[in-house]
Amino acid sequence: MSSSSHPTPDSRSPTPAGGAFELVKEKAGFREFRMRANGLRVLLLSNRVSPVVTFAIVYHVGSRNEAVGYTGATHLLEHLMFKGTPEFERAKGTAVAAVLEALGARFNATTWFDRTNYYETIPSSALDTAVRIEASRMRGALLRDEDRVPEMTVVRNEFERGENSPFQVLYKQTFATAFREHPYHHPTIGWRSDIEGVSTARLREFYETFYHPNNATAMVIGDFEEEPTLELLATHFGPIPASDHPIPQVYTAEPPQEGERRFVVRRAGQIAWCAMSWRTVQARHADTAPLAVLGNVLGGGITSRLHQALVEKTLALSVTVVPWQLRDPALFSVFAPVRPGVEPAEIESVIRREIARIASDGITEAECEKARTQIEAEVVFDRDSTDQIAASLSEAIAVADWEWYADYPATIRSVTPEDVRRVVLAYLHDDALTAGLFLPKAPSGEAAAEGGQDGDDAEDGE
Amino acid sequence: MSTVAAARRRVPFAEAVRHRHLANGARLYVLENHFNPTLALSGTLQAGRIYAPAERRLIASLTAAELMKGTARRTKLQLAEDLESRAASLSFASDASDPVGVDISGASLSRDADLLFDALVEVLRTPVFPEDELEREKKRLVGSIRQQQDQTSVRAFEEAMRRIYPPAHPLHRNTGPERIARVESLRRSDLEGFYRDRYGAASLILVVVGDVDAERVLDAFEKGFGDWQPGPDPAIPAADPPPVSPGEATVRMPDKASADVVLAMPSNLRRTDPDYLAASLANSALGQSSLTSRLGVRVRDTEGLTYGIHSSFGATQVPGPFLISVTVKPEMRDAAVESTLDEAAKFLREGMTARELAEEKSSRSGRFQVDLGSNAGIAQALDAAVGYGFGVSYLDEFPDKVAAITKEKADAAFRRRVRVEDLTVVSAGTFE
Repeated sequence: MSSSSHPTPDSRSPTPAGGAFELVKEKAGFREFRMRANGLRVLLLSNRVSPVVTFAIVYHVGSRNEAVGYTGATHLLEHLMFKGTPEFERAKGTAVAAVLEALGARFNATTWFDRTNYYETIPSSALDTAVRIEASRMRGALLRDEDRVPEMTVVRNEFERGENSPFQVLYKQTFATAFREHPYHHPTIGWRSDIEGVSTARLREFYETFYHPNNATAMVIGDFEEEPTLELLATHFGPIPASDHPIPQVYTAEPPQEGERRFVVRRAGQIAWCAMSWRTVQARHADTAPLAVLGNVLGGGITSRLHQALVEKTLALSVTVVPWQLRDPALFSVFAPVRPGVEPAEIESVIRREIARIASDGITEAECEKARTQIEAEVVFDRDSTDQIAASLSEAIAVADWEWYADYPATIRSVTPEDVRRVVLAYLHDDALTAGLFLPKAPSGEAAAEGGQDGDDAEDGE
Repeated sequence: MSTVAAARRRVPFAEAVRHRHLANGARLYVLENHFNPTLALSGTLQAGRIYAPAERRLIASLTAAELMKGTARRTKLQLAEDLESRAASLSFASDASDPVGVDISGASLSRDADLLFDALVEVLRTPVFPEDELEREKKRLVGSIRQQQDQTSVRAFEEAMRRIYPPAHPLHRNTGPERIARVESLRRSDLEGFYRDRYGAASLILVVVGDVDAERVLDAFEKGFGDWQPGPDPAIPAADPPPVSPGEATVRMPDKASADVVLAMPSNLRRTDPDYLAASLANSALGQSSLTSRLGVRVRDTEGLTYGIHSSFGATQVPGPFLISVTVKPEMRDAAVESTLDEAAKFLREGMTARELAEEKSSRSGRFQVDLGSNAGIAQALDAAVGYGFGVSYLDEFPDKVAAITKEKADAAFRRRVRVEDLTVVSAGTFE
């Protein structure tokens, strides 16, 4: 082919990979296919910045699909997916990680509320290895008890590392307080006793329920040829049947919040943290875009309103604004580590004041334009690297669909200052608020004083 | 392999990268890559902590951090507004891990290239270090140091560096309270003086990769930096590794569910040493990956004692430490340390297996290709290749250099740098 980087639609087969796929839709460079035999969705995006390709697969299962007794199961299962299949196994010298490492792959897997994703960024000549690995572990994971036992303590250490971080403690407590009925209540890592107690059989049941081609989307992004790639996918994923049961859907919904909620965590530490979160909407909702713009107006860079009001005024050390975008209604959060000597309550009153100012006066067109430009640019910067597109796309597929990502710049572009004011009035009110504090506890039981002695010391061993 | 990718690969970096070496010493490199309307900027300048007085190393990092706080023409807020409103970014940082360089990095949409380059020239050449900004930064920094002191990983690493390097060495780390006292004593004149003495064109390297016209960028840089004073000779002061003094220490911190253990020794490995690649390849087999390296397979995968275990050389233009770091549930510390030391000793005794060597070589070459998969990745690789004196062609020669490494070279290079009995073991966390 003479112009392989930008082939015209005519140059491609109407029945890709010998009819194994149907083309579902194309937009903004993305082409979506569906594997006829088993419902696996495949997304292709050619991006030939360099001879590198990212293969990624997203399963529509996350901590949202768990309940008490097996919280953290999705994540523990994700770890066990590296422990072996009949084809890729440490005892045979073909452990998944070892095979990928030898290719120089940048690879990992992550679990979040709404999804689990596996990805490999590799030299484009090695695409078939990544495809074979993911096809093999879609249905062939060994899930042995002798693998779970040592991996449980690995995951428990991951949990413990999270507990060391005041930010992570605060965000977990925020979700646990704001969500009482919906499974966003529990963290993706799970509760400690569930991590320790969940059985291999329960994990296998979870795997049998959710790991099927009809509950997954595969992505190929970067330097590849379409037809041979679809053939490759057909060869390895084609023989896997669709699930013999419908994939269970989450029907638990969080009822409206009827009043402000508060919590305090007292633990040894150096710095207090303040968190404020309000119940908002699901990613697919039309107000997601104005909330994203609001996020940048409040926290996008040093010119943003909360950076100016908190960090520039030396009240907080930094400020992080998160307009969570999830499949079900989520939160709009502000987190700030408090500068020692400042009352945490002062941080909350400043955040309230800044939000009230937008509620009454709105934002300027210039602020709105800056925020829109920043968010649009993120999408452009994504295309600098194949793994960054894959990461953004995986999130979009988990919370909505790929078109949501493809349309995102235009959606953001349409946001007006009045939209931003409207969402502040609609969502950021006290009835929907969860406010939390992390307060450092002095080890002796005394309150931590500014400039006081560190609560710890170094000592010599033998 | 697609025709386009194959075609790209046939043009060596040495030919594709345009460069200009100015009379004052500044070196500029540009690679056009028109696939996406963005550009990445990477650069270095020799004004790191090695050039600051031993008792006041912080001057270097604070000078770099304060560059963006205002220029002769724009206040900090004006500068930030101009960049942020176009989604452009520019930053300067000098951290303790590289005692020599200040890292320059930036990015923008290609339509805003001029805006970014103008800001770069202005900030590097005419910073004013406003008094009120410094006072604000000092307050923030004191809080930020205390925040870091709450992390087991930071405490274990700093205590290890404090113990294996003497106070006069640029890799020595002071304690948190010592650093806070030093921050509070800093004056604006300290930053102005350090800037005046250290900043200049002689050691400046700038790399731009992306959707730009190379000739225009080179002209813009020449115009911006051509008449900048060269500044001091970019020689690097000696910072030889100190004699080893192995020991053990525990930093006690309450309420920490996970502890960090750092095993450290000064090594005499520089990034510029001819056997650096061989030594670092051996290290990869020992501990680069928690999932596949020997330490990971034993301590994580088999024994389940940790989520993360890594070994590394902190090599720059000065010889840095060899480090192993591992996180553990506090009760499992002794078991994890024992297994780690045992595995490291075994590795030193036996060296790499033929299979490990083959896999690590293939991994290193593949990863190099993957890392060159973005404008920022290419810019950083070029910046490093030029900064370490290897030249642009290093990017073309890298696969051959890796291929030439033998087991004998790798084992010998690693054994020259690491001895288990020389490791200082520092733990930070909640212990009985």
